[in-house]
Amino acid sequence: MRLETFSYLPKLSVDEIGAQIRSILDRELVVAIEHSPRVDPRDHYWTLWGLPLFAVRDPAAVLGEIDACVRAHPDEYVRVDGYDARRQGQVASFVVHRPGQED
Amino acid sequence: MFEAGVREYRERYWVPEYSPRPTDLLAAFRITPQPGVAPEEAAAAVAAESSTGTWTSVWTDHLTTLDRYQARAYHLEPVAKAVDQYMAYIAYPLDLFEEGSVASIAASITGNVFGFKALRALRLEDLGIPVAYVKTFQGPPNGIQVERDLLNKYGRPLLGATLKPKLGLSAKNYGRACYELLAGGLDFTKDDENITSQPFMRWRDRYTFVMEAVRKAEAQTGERKGHYLNVTAPDVEQMLERAEFAKELGSPIVMHDYLVGGFSAHQTLANWCRRNGMLLHVHRALHAVLDRQKEHGIHFRVLAKWLRLSGGDHLHAGTVVGKLEGDRQTTLGVVDLLREDRVAADRSRGIHFAQEWASLPGVLPAASGGIHVWHMPALVAIFGDDAILQFGGGSAGHPQGSRAGAHANRVALEACVQARNEGCELEVEGVEILERAARRSPELRAALDTWRGIAFDFDSVDTLDTVPA
Repeated sequence: MRLETFSYLPKLSVDEIGAQIRSILDRELVVAIEHSPRVDPRDHYWTLWGLPLFAVRDPAAVLGEIDACVRAHPDEYVRVDGYDARRQGQVASFVVHRPGQED
Repeated sequence: MFEAGVREYRERYWVPEYSPRPTDLLAAFRITPQPGVAPEEAAAAVAAESSTGTWTSVWTDHLTTLDRYQARAYHLEPVAKAVDQYMAYIAYPLDLFEEGSVASIAASITGNVFGFKALRALRLEDLGIPVAYVKTFQGPPNGIQVERDLLNKYGRPLLGATLKPKLGLSAKNYGRACYELLAGGLDFTKDDENITSQPFMRWRDRYTFVMEAVRKAEAQTGERKGHYLNVTAPDVEQMLERAEFAKELGSPIVMHDYLVGGFSAHQTLANWCRRNGMLLHVHRALHAVLDRQKEHGIHFRVLAKWLRLSGGDHLHAGTVVGKLEGDRQTTLGVVDLLREDRVAADRSRGIHFAQEWASLPGVLPAASGGIHVWHMPALVAIFGDDAILQFGGGSAGHPQGSRAGAHANRVALEACVQARNEGCELEVEGVEILERAARRSPELRAALDTWRGIAFDFDSVDTLDTVPA
């Protein structure tokens, strides 16, 4: 399984994930975290980890939420999304955790 | 009785004091009058012959109010880098054009007047389309955001490739070529424009094998995939039959050649795509015949605007860096006209009129033709995320085959996007970014070694010499 943007690069380190989140926040996008036990390219809606992080501007806070989501759902896929309210649509998404040994 | 005879066009059609109304359709023409013809007369002739005028007075002129329907040449200026050539600006009243019809605009504005003897040459450089007229069109069947949402692809340009050799493969082998590229990491593969339904590969066989390849690659990668199934056909009935079959097989997308197919057939297909939730990839065979010579013809920015009005989700728009014609500033201007909702007039990019699209969906520009992995940093920097980068030879020409070639391009793309988001200047640090990514990707390493130093450095034929000094 590849699963879209950045899935052809070596697994992103925590620092690299943080850099991508900083870029999302710098563009004034809204960050959200989703998780799902299964992946299907036609399944658009994974389970939201709480609400999108509307007020968050600090990448460390987002990394903390990712960590909490992964600890609660270690055997699921977890991805980070970015929404552009002006464009009224999603503009960023990448998987940050996969279950078990899959990489 | 009426006053019969021939009058100079400028008596009625050269109106320098005219200030265009917000509902007028505006045209910028580059005109080359015959020796001895005054520029005002030449500009007025273009306005007359593309609207209400003819070469002589006719009695029936007096049965209407020509003031209400005539075009007006309202401004003239010399072309900065040419002798005895002028930019002529002409305003057309909105009533001259049928609602929602590119065929109507094309027949009026690019009709007889292009063969008019008093002009040595005539080129339509730009059209300013009033919002009132834009709103009579539905435009792209889906648009950029809907396509991204449908395909679950965010935060990067899409990757495609045209299947090669472009002619002569059997349907089954063609499906193999498709499968290898999609499984290797591309989002889309594409029929070359020459492929319709020839004896060596009939369309129905091609569609069936290709869609098996698409489904298999999707199952293996967990990503949406597609192949632009060309539905360009001998007639509109067969075009729609092919589109229906593509939909029945589960294809997300079909492809059409809008200039050879014609604006009316194209708009029929765009309407069908909108009704059926299908993406529409648009190829532009014939365009260089119309748009490459700077003194005569129709600039591609006008052909691109016509496509956005009549409908298409992708349009080939040049690469800047590849093997095909396209000055950088001009191409960037066209890309903005395809994607943005509002585009300001900017003569340094050849854009004569501000264009307001009134939320008409955007078109993804496709960059295709002689591009390879070394171009990736520049392409990502030039086009940003909302584009499709098509590496045909640059994928299937990989020494280890199509799958490795596709993989190499995907790694290069993602490395460039990652670096850009981290704040790197892609056009400065591109080589380093690719070399670093290749240390962990043997596929990218081999691609870099194969195409090192391959460039297409020729001057553009169609340069921006209408920019005022």
